[in-house]
Amino acid sequence: MAAASAASAISLNSNSGSSSSNGNPINNNSKNSKSQIMIPIHVWPNPNSRSCQWQSSSSRRWVPLSTKAAAKDDKPTKITADADADADADADANAAKQKKQMQQRNRLELEDVNPVGLGRRSRQLFDEVWRKFSGLGQISSTSRADERDALDALLIREGPLCEFAIPGAQNTTVLVVGPTSRIGRILVRKLLLRGYTVKALVRKTDGQAEEMLPRSVEMVKGDVGDPSSLKAAVEGCNKIIYCATARSTITGDLYRVDYRGVYNLSKAFQDYNNKLAQLRAGKSSKSKLLLAKFKSPDSLHGWHVTTGTYFQDVIASKYDGGMDAKFEFTDSGAAVFSGYVFTRGGYVELSKTLSLPLGRTLDRYEGLLLSVGGNGRSYILILEAGPTADASQSKLYFARISTKAGFCRVRVPFSSFRPVKPDDPPLDPFLVHKLTIRFEPRRQRPVEGPSGVKQDPRSFTLILEYIKALPSGQETDFVLVSCTGSGLEPTRRDQVLKVKRTGEESLRRSGLGYTIIRPGPLKEEPGGQRALIFDQGNRISQGISCADVADICVKALHDSTARNKSFDVCYEYVAEQGKELYELLATLCMLSAQVAHLPDKANNYLTPALSVLEKNT
Amino acid sequence: MAMAWRLPTQFAIPGKLYYNHNHLHPKTSTSHVAFSWQRTLAPNSPLSTLSSPPPSPCSLISVSERSCERSSITCTAQAGGAVNLAPGTPVRPTSILVVGATGTLGRQIVRRALDEGYDVRCLVRPRPAPADFLRDWGAIVVNADLSKPETIPATLVGIHTVIDCATGRPEEPIKTVDWEGKVALIQCAKAMGIQKYVFFSIHNCDKHPEVPLMEIKYCTEKFLQDSGLTHITIRLCGFMQGLIGQYAVPILEEKSVWGTDAPTRIAYMDTQDIARLTFIALRNEKINGKLLTFAGPRAWTTQEVITLCERLAGQDANVTTVPVSILRFTRQLTRLFEWTNDVADRLAFSEVLTSDAVFSVPMNETYTQLGVDSKDIITLEKYLQDYFTNILKKLKDLKAQSKQTDIFL
Repeated sequence: MAAASAASAISLNSNSGSSSSNGNPINNNSKNSKSQIMIPIHVWPNPNSRSCQWQSSSSRRWVPLSTKAAAKDDKPTKITADADADADADADANAAKQKKQMQQRNRLELEDVNPVGLGRRSRQLFDEVWRKFSGLGQISSTSRADERDALDALLIREGPLCEFAIPGAQNTTVLVVGPTSRIGRILVRKLLLRGYTVKALVRKTDGQAEEMLPRSVEMVKGDVGDPSSLKAAVEGCNKIIYCATARSTITGDLYRVDYRGVYNLSKAFQDYNNKLAQLRAGKSSKSKLLLAKFKSPDSLHGWHVTTGTYFQDVIASKYDGGMDAKFEFTDSGAAVFSGYVFTRGGYVELSKTLSLPLGRTLDRYEGLLLSVGGNGRSYILILEAGPTADASQSKLYFARISTKAGFCRVRVPFSSFRPVKPDDPPLDPFLVHKLTIRFEPRRQRPVEGPSGVKQDPRSFTLILEYIKALPSGQETDFVLVSCTGSGLEPTRRDQVLKVKRTGEESLRRSGLGYTIIRPGPLKEEPGGQRALIFDQGNRISQGISCADVADICVKALHDSTARNKSFDVCYEYVAEQGKELYELLATLCMLSAQVAHLPDKANNYLTPALSVLEKNT
Repeated sequence: MAMAWRLPTQFAIPGKLYYNHNHLHPKTSTSHVAFSWQRTLAPNSPLSTLSSPPPSPCSLISVSERSCERSSITCTAQAGGAVNLAPGTPVRPTSILVVGATGTLGRQIVRRALDEGYDVRCLVRPRPAPADFLRDWGAIVVNADLSKPETIPATLVGIHTVIDCATGRPEEPIKTVDWEGKVALIQCAKAMGIQKYVFFSIHNCDKHPEVPLMEIKYCTEKFLQDSGLTHITIRLCGFMQGLIGQYAVPILEEKSVWGTDAPTRIAYMDTQDIARLTFIALRNEKINGKLLTFAGPRAWTTQEVITLCERLAGQDANVTTVPVSILRFTRQLTRLFEWTNDVADRLAFSEVLTSDAVFSVPMNETYTQLGVDSKDIITLEKYLQDYFTNILKKLKDLKAQSKQTDIFL
């Protein structure tokens, strides 16, 4: 039939220019083949000869109504109805049409009197009128071939009327690692429903994974154990959700997936982010703020070396072994802070009053990054905070950092600084005005020298390259699903947990905004039914459904309170009969962080639950 | 009663079905219904596919359950027919089958289920344009046709719960899917040990036997009850989503809106809310076997809905009001001929419209039963307001861009 109509379209084309079925014959053909799908839906209940007969009789009966609507329906733009009529007309009167066309060739206004066109148009009109009329007598209007319903469907699926839609989702690409895992499967669906673009990291692109994943997921082949394969995977991603886990508890597997996997992926992602930041030449919000760079002798200006001891009484002098330190720019072009402290309880410090560029304050940053080298001692960073005008108001905050032998970068979040006087309020980065690096021989780990000779822990060399402030992001970049360990086989438990914790640690150190979720034993049941408990400190006892974990992952993506947090989550404990009193006491002993939060349609349970939990733990 | 119920399940005897209806609705004018049903169940209708030989799984249960004449087949059916006697891997409670997944309600059910972590299988009729959007969301689509019973059993393997929101398309003979198909599906579900069956029916369907669809829904409810399956029946009033295409879009496009002057009120409800409540009910063991009715917060007449749309759209609608009497007249007229009977069935709802029936029900008890806050249920004002404020612009953009979307339907 399509071929026949295409042929007729060509012949019409030759004699006039404005028939509705005119145009490119190939185009017309394709329209027709598409509309053939619609025919059984759009056409009358029984497209047989009897219904045809009935149509013609009833169309006469309803002429007044159809003329009324004719005034409003100006143009027959509906392809479906058009082709529909086309099909019928072709089937019935193909030969007659040829004849009529021959006759009409002589006239000027062919369209006005073309019986095929007229029939088509009246058929359309009647169709429309009848559809509306019969719609009134129906219980629900489910005429699906209707183009409005098509639009409606589109809107319900993607528009703001969809209860799942999230504003930021359209422009966000999420890489899901472990998309076929128990959590991953649900997670992928949830992300798709909310309009995210989803990439899935799969090890093999054979049919198996493809079958399990929705088709709208972009699959990238790669293995978390193989860093080179991850480069392509993180390309174009804004967020990563890692819910893969080792298939066995064999040490090699655990190490490869739960530790190296997290490390490799966070590294690949950070590299990708840095590449993007470079394109903005340090002007982007992701760029770090340079506090000090030691590239020339001048850069040492403003840094002061001081010495001191913790003991100020007479006994101290008894142990005075002498100490010395200097900060100098060597011929090889490195700024070296070196010296020794033999005095018991003594220390040496290198300090500078910070002068930030105009308009920059440290409260937009979340930590310090030091690029240092040396012989692997540990140091204490001290920040002095308070009003710059009044030094007596200053409060001191400290954090211990350890370096490696050789060069390394050390990341110190502001939240890890503790007040020297326990009563002082937590550090407010906005008020920081002085930075101090202190060396003291106490609590130094013995470091193996290159020759194996044990070094004297009382001497030190610290080569400083730069000190930068790390920008704080709003959202989390990397969501890691770890585990609490409850529900694991006791013999394997420690081993699994150890590897998982190492993986978590490597993520925390990566510099990405992270969220680490440690769910209780997973259950395969629908989510959103029971209250959840968010806690820190390995106290949870209950299981949790995979769907709830997936939901937390999705919610954490755009929640600023979820950034840089690790937490345990499980179902609220429902006391058994007769045990309530005991449970009540036990509950009272727990922290207020353990407020149950019931996941529901509208309420965002995650923010209040997480806002009481500590960061960077 | 048992005798009466045996008959429709064999569904090859049209006259008996009609008899059965009379039995249920003694007040109904006999001649009226008889006429209607004899017509629709005329012997030339494609019943031959369903009156299949005994080994078909569909006929097994009906015989075993209610028939006095037991045959050898009956025994096997009884063995497999009771709930899940067969040993083997237990079916996960998260695996569900949605029948009618491409429909207005069905797609919301599918989405809700996927979001809550169910593994969703969708029974979809084989069609030239596949239901891609279901696959894109992560559901598994299986092809089967309720009017071809032999295609059903395979789709039920490994399924814990069946959610049935299918209804025949308006243009096809009403009983193919809605009666014969459903009977076959329920029998299959029973035979294969499906552990829960959720059926969507129409509110007041027991009060309007003159409307074929409602009559069929009511019979299906009864049939499901008698099947012995663990089931939930949910009666619905009207979908807000349907109003968009019917009134909102025509008003925006300044086309004529067709309405009746009927005083019938319908409590429209958002299908997303229906889906949400459905899953709450589904997980609640106390609701098993119950009949729930979901209704929106307020009942509206057609005229009220049009007025509301006009107000929100900020423009007057071009309303063509068709008196209900004309609808009735047309229905009477089309019933006169056998070949216009399908048309008559399509217009059958006009019978309901002439009465000032209210399609609504107080929901307070249902809310308490399900533990839902009535504030979470969206009202029609809010729904349409959201639509008009948010969608209006986007609608036009979309319409300009994509003509392709209809392949989903």
